[in-house]
Amino acid sequence: MPRSSAPPYLVADRAQLLGPPETHGDPITAEAVTAALTDELSVGFDPASVVQGAALDTFDRRLAAAGLFLYHVSDPAGQRLVLISEKDGAPLTVPTVDARWPALVTALPAGPVRDALAPVATIRALMVLDEQTHRVRRGALRDEDQKILVRFELVEQVTDAAASTWLSVKPLRGYGNEARNAVRLLTAAGLRPVQPAPVAPAPDETGVRPLRIGRSAPAITLLVAEWSAYLAAMRANLPGVLDDVDTEFLHDVRVAVRRTRSTLKLGRPALPEGVSERWEPAFKWLGDLTTPVRDLDVYELGLPEMAGWLVAAEAADLRPFADQLRRHRSAARRSLVRGLRSARFRTTLEDWADTLAGLSGPALAHAPKLAVGTLANRSIGRAYRRVVRDGAAIGPGSPAEALHSLRKRCKELRYALELFAPVSDDTAGKRVVADLKELQNVLGRFQDSDVQQQTLYGFAEQMRAAHAPTRALLAMGELVAHLGVDQRRARADFDRAFARFSRPAGRDRIRLVRVGR
Amino acid sequence: MKVLAMYNIKGGVGKTTTAVNLAYLAAREGQRTLLWDLDPQAAATFLFRVQPRVKGGSRALLTRGRSLAAALKATDFERLDLLPADFSYRNMDLELDDTKKRARRLGQLISTLSDDYDIVFLDCPPSISLVSENVMHASDLLVVPLVPATLSLRTLDQLTSFVAEAGGHQPQVKAFFSMADRRKKLHRDVIATLSRDHPHVARTIVPALSMIEQMGERRAPVPAFAPRSRAAICYEQLWAEVRPS
Repeated sequence: MPRSSAPPYLVADRAQLLGPPETHGDPITAEAVTAALTDELSVGFDPASVVQGAALDTFDRRLAAAGLFLYHVSDPAGQRLVLISEKDGAPLTVPTVDARWPALVTALPAGPVRDALAPVATIRALMVLDEQTHRVRRGALRDEDQKILVRFELVEQVTDAAASTWLSVKPLRGYGNEARNAVRLLTAAGLRPVQPAPVAPAPDETGVRPLRIGRSAPAITLLVAEWSAYLAAMRANLPGVLDDVDTEFLHDVRVAVRRTRSTLKLGRPALPEGVSERWEPAFKWLGDLTTPVRDLDVYELGLPEMAGWLVAAEAADLRPFADQLRRHRSAARRSLVRGLRSARFRTTLEDWADTLAGLSGPALAHAPKLAVGTLANRSIGRAYRRVVRDGAAIGPGSPAEALHSLRKRCKELRYALELFAPVSDDTAGKRVVADLKELQNVLGRFQDSDVQQQTLYGFAEQMRAAHAPTRALLAMGELVAHLGVDQRRARADFDRAFARFSRPAGRDRIRLVRVGR
Repeated sequence: MKVLAMYNIKGGVGKTTTAVNLAYLAAREGQRTLLWDLDPQAAATFLFRVQPRVKGGSRALLTRGRSLAAALKATDFERLDLLPADFSYRNMDLELDDTKKRARRLGQLISTLSDDYDIVFLDCPPSISLVSENVMHASDLLVVPLVPATLSLRTLDQLTSFVAEAGGHQPQVKAFFSMADRRKKLHRDVIATLSRDHPHVARTIVPALSMIEQMGERRAPVPAFAPRSRAAICYEQLWAEVRPS
């Protein structure tokens, strides 16, 4: 059965869709429908109304991945959100007034639609991915008492140059025979049964693609492919950062920048002269540009959880702190936007794209002839040895900086493992990453608690100078105490996590990863 | 699922118009609504333009296991379905008498629809019978239209006693004045006395209005064809008073 382009919000539950006759393909008209049905029953159509529908999802298509499809539908009857689930047939609908996109789930009207979306979209904003306009004529087949037996919707796609039309025949409870009879007469008149369009929107095109590459291939090929994917991710997320759609756009830009920086370091032996010298500082600048807003985002996102830590104070006591965070974030965002709109930023990305193009072509001749497998062995081995060396040196009296520095080494190893995953032993690589993740989690908890305590002291100083309420400062004191306990716990967990990572089995796996496939 | 029965021992007091209008209002506000026309006169069925026919009649529904779902008909209004009347309902008492748990059979049948509907309205025939006893057991609320006449108090007292004596589950009772004519002194006096002395009487008074009489010609609920009329507003007020929370 052919598919129609009917969006799912215009196809009533259990309705049969009919398309125009195959022979001439002319649009379906109300007159043609009326003529096709028997004289005993009357058919009537209302004047056309315009229905606008916007398909919504998060930037990373979380809803579609979870089998959910959300639409903002506007027609003369009003505006509503329609949520269709692949699993459950009946759509959920909630009326809405003046919805503006992008919007976080928390901005949606309370009810089952929001409840279904909240755990899926979480902190990502819902954005318009596609908009369509249709003209719809509603009609009905009535008996001699003028009772409606079957409902029709004659739909014309306004935005489609080919002006596709279809007729939806909706059976009413207790009148299934009449609906079947109507479909029989309409198909006898030439209309064709069609299936609704699949609900899945176009897949995300911004993610990092898997690469097929052998160990003997030039290392530069792998590096350029990775950097190109990171550059695409930076560019794709940039508009969302500038519009402040949600916090994840900036986070994803930062991940791409950080991975680029780290790969530049790892790739030094495979690069022509001058490349790392020029681009490592350039991407450090980019990373630094984005750091202040991201740090404040982390605070703002964590506030609800922090409020849950309070014992003596109440959540409302943290309001002055939240206001302070908001003010700082606004100022930091202004600087960030200035930086992202600057000529320096623009030329950095443009020049980097040119450099990548050069590295795939003419500059390739000047690059050291280093195979991926060789670079992988060298990079992973070096990063692993540094983690083990620095970790073993940490004792009960080591300063916090030693653990922070070890965290950086762990990140380098993690990036190396991920970068060279296409040419490494899968099973061994996954196990090493699992152990490494555990160690990184412990170090992350330790450092985050430490940094957050220091930052809280800084904020408290500023707020005290600005005569903030005592209750706010005391509540922040409770947060510092909680973070202090967390930090001590993380320190206590470190020895076990490091011992697990550096045990002989871990070393054997690293050897396997380095040998590769 | 809540069950509201429009009930009075007397006929011609406005049970059907009340059932049709309140069911329409419940559906309009988004509730999945069913109206079961239990009266063999089939007035509610007529108002919704549905044929008064149930395959196999009341015997099939009550004793032969035919599901209520198979007998349902969509009305012309979103979310509002009808279980039509059938002339065989005149023998429903006899059919019920042949069933196990004869005073609870209707309630058992209605409960089979609890996944499909949020609210069920019963338009009851005027009588005190086994059908009435079933309605008592099946309902959460009896909505009782009263014409303001000297015998209204007696009617209401008879009804509340009947409910109290029914035993087991007892529905709440909410009476309201229907077909009231403020120009008649008797109507004014009865309304004043009963509203003051009786805790079960609603504040809303539905007057005798030509718009309500027009339902028979228009064959639709008043708020559907005259949404700004006084009659529509009265039923909206009544719905606000009796709507299950």
